[in-house]
Amino acid sequence: MKNSEISVRSAEIISYYAGFVILGTSMLMVIPVVTAILSREWIPMLDFIISMAIAASLGLIFVLLGRRTKGHSSSVQWKHGFAVAALSWVMLMFLCSIPYLLSGHTYSYLDACFDVMSGFTTTGLVLTQDLDHLSNALNMWRHMLTFIGGQGMVVLALTFIVKESSGGYKFYVGEGKDIALVPNVKGTARIIWKISIVYLLFGTLVLWIAGLLLGLNPASSLLHAIYIFESAWSTGGFAPNTQNIMYYHSFLYEAIAMVFFIIGSFNFGLHYAVWQGKRKEFVRNIEIQSFAITAFLASVLAVAALSKTGLYPDAVSLYRRVVFNVLSAHTTTGFGSLYARQFALQWGDGGILIMVIAMLIGGSACSTAGGFKGLRVGIVFKGIIADVKKLLSSERSMRVYKFHYMKDIVLEDGLVRASALIIICYMVLFGIGTLLGTFCGYSLADSAFEASSVTGNVGLSIGVTSASMPAVLKIYYIFAMYLGRLEFLSVFALIGMAITGVKRIWKRKQI
Amino acid sequence: MEKKTNLIHCALVVVLSLCLVSSPVLAEDNSVSVNELIENSADYNGKSIAITGEAIGECLERGNNAWVNISDGSNAIGIWMTKEEAEGITYYGDYKYTGDTLVITGVFYEACKEHGGEPDIHCSAFKISKAGEMKSEKIPAAKILLAAGFTSLALILYMTYRQLLNKKPERSNAD
Repeated sequence: MKNSEISVRSAEIISYYAGFVILGTSMLMVIPVVTAILSREWIPMLDFIISMAIAASLGLIFVLLGRRTKGHSSSVQWKHGFAVAALSWVMLMFLCSIPYLLSGHTYSYLDACFDVMSGFTTTGLVLTQDLDHLSNALNMWRHMLTFIGGQGMVVLALTFIVKESSGGYKFYVGEGKDIALVPNVKGTARIIWKISIVYLLFGTLVLWIAGLLLGLNPASSLLHAIYIFESAWSTGGFAPNTQNIMYYHSFLYEAIAMVFFIIGSFNFGLHYAVWQGKRKEFVRNIEIQSFAITAFLASVLAVAALSKTGLYPDAVSLYRRVVFNVLSAHTTTGFGSLYARQFALQWGDGGILIMVIAMLIGGSACSTAGGFKGLRVGIVFKGIIADVKKLLSSERSMRVYKFHYMKDIVLEDGLVRASALIIICYMVLFGIGTLLGTFCGYSLADSAFEASSVTGNVGLSIGVTSASMPAVLKIYYIFAMYLGRLEFLSVFALIGMAITGVKRIWKRKQI
Repeated sequence: MEKKTNLIHCALVVVLSLCLVSSPVLAEDNSVSVNELIENSADYNGKSIAITGEAIGECLERGNNAWVNISDGSNAIGIWMTKEEAEGITYYGDYKYTGDTLVITGVFYEACKEHGGEPDIHCSAFKISKAGEMKSEKIPAAKILLAAGFTSLALILYMTYRQLLNKKPERSNAD
């Protein structure tokens, strides 16, 4: 009997906090509503009012169901943090898809859910049709989702809506971020948002000026600047037009976007350290070292492979079509300066393999980027070197191996094992995706490219992702994006709690 | 004499054929789609092609030239043309407008050297086959009703929330 009470309490805690996350996200729909009013887009305005009211109602129902949690935030455990993050993301996927569906730009609700999960997870794959005729309101929503998803929706909602702060760190970790910039999670979340907003203002200004220089009118240049910055900073890869970054036909625009998506793929802790004047951190940080090495190697190898084909005749072409795409893949952004099918038709197996590896590695931990992260690659690599050194040195010598990540950290076996375990989870997810792609009739290279893109939350496509792809593949890709972004633990916790709950109910019925 | 006439006829046929090949063919029927161009880019590279599509977004002027993006429904591509030519286009497609439908003849490049390796079309001639227009926005009554209904529901739930959560929290046994 006591067990069932605890289970009810857990459900209430999850319901209460998930309700606030939904409520917070519904409030964000005010921004597209305002955009619609300013752009005189009346139908999209109604679409967002309907969606906002549905989301707010559901959020309030969840809060009311878990109302006994109010004042008992200290009872929040790790499992609740993980479950709230995982459940909120699923609920929000369904609710935030409503404006897409009402706009008539998706063939099905599944396609709308796919695009929302792609946005939240900063992946950037698109099933929305006819992007060139999308309303400003829906475009604002698409890019907002990817911007907010990158920083963390659960943290945003709980930081600014829920007054009680205890238990906040559990939600924060549940959403795939684990760095504490200041002792309390509210402060950390606020710093993350402060950094992002300062960059948003600066980046929008720079891109707005660039847009004016390349011929956009002032109003649309501003909107494009907001969209492209949000997408670049969150390593999302969405763009307001079908041609993605190619729409602008501009080296300048691509270069600015590249700077922001590289900065966006860095750890928020690193941004904070640099802001505080600790510039040496930029050079000493294991993630930056790892990223610099892998990005350089991937770019050089891709340039070498593509140079042989003779397709790109000069350095500028190689930089804009090869290096840009490799870095876009490595930072898990997904801006494409080529058509999807060009990867399949022109890059060859070598080029595709380089892209697959770059997409799987991804950016930094506690950043907006995806992939299994440079930090883990660095730790596992250092772990291997340490093991080799231990084997070669005398049995009596006891040497402590360290790495630098904001501070000097001892390289313990447990840390190496945990990093390797997450990498294995990503590889399994990638393997299943590749296998499923081949079962659905796509070539091995195409399947692997697309599977790495969804697993690493990248967004580059080789042409598999389309409205006509099998529903089973769409569902798997949604699941892979979700698992990849939340880094497995939260989803495993939610599934574990659901199974435990079902078991308890089953046992109670038998008694 | 007959031989001479035959030679003249042959020469005329050759000249006419060459004229037909080199002059812009502004026929929608012979158009290729953007996806077809990309899928067979090596075959079309450097060749004159015809393409039909809607002008989208806006004209991006670059000195005496301009980029006009067109979408044929399968995909979109950039057309490099003179500024004067671009000025002939009135409507560009977006949420509120259907853009002019253009029939473009030009040379396709799979990795244009002039434009940083971008796949593009350098326009040699174009015509507007269908003028664009402003779209009419009829607001469906069902959406107004749905918006009113769900907003009312949200307000009722909010009032309930205020009433229930402003009360002092209950002491539960689980604590």
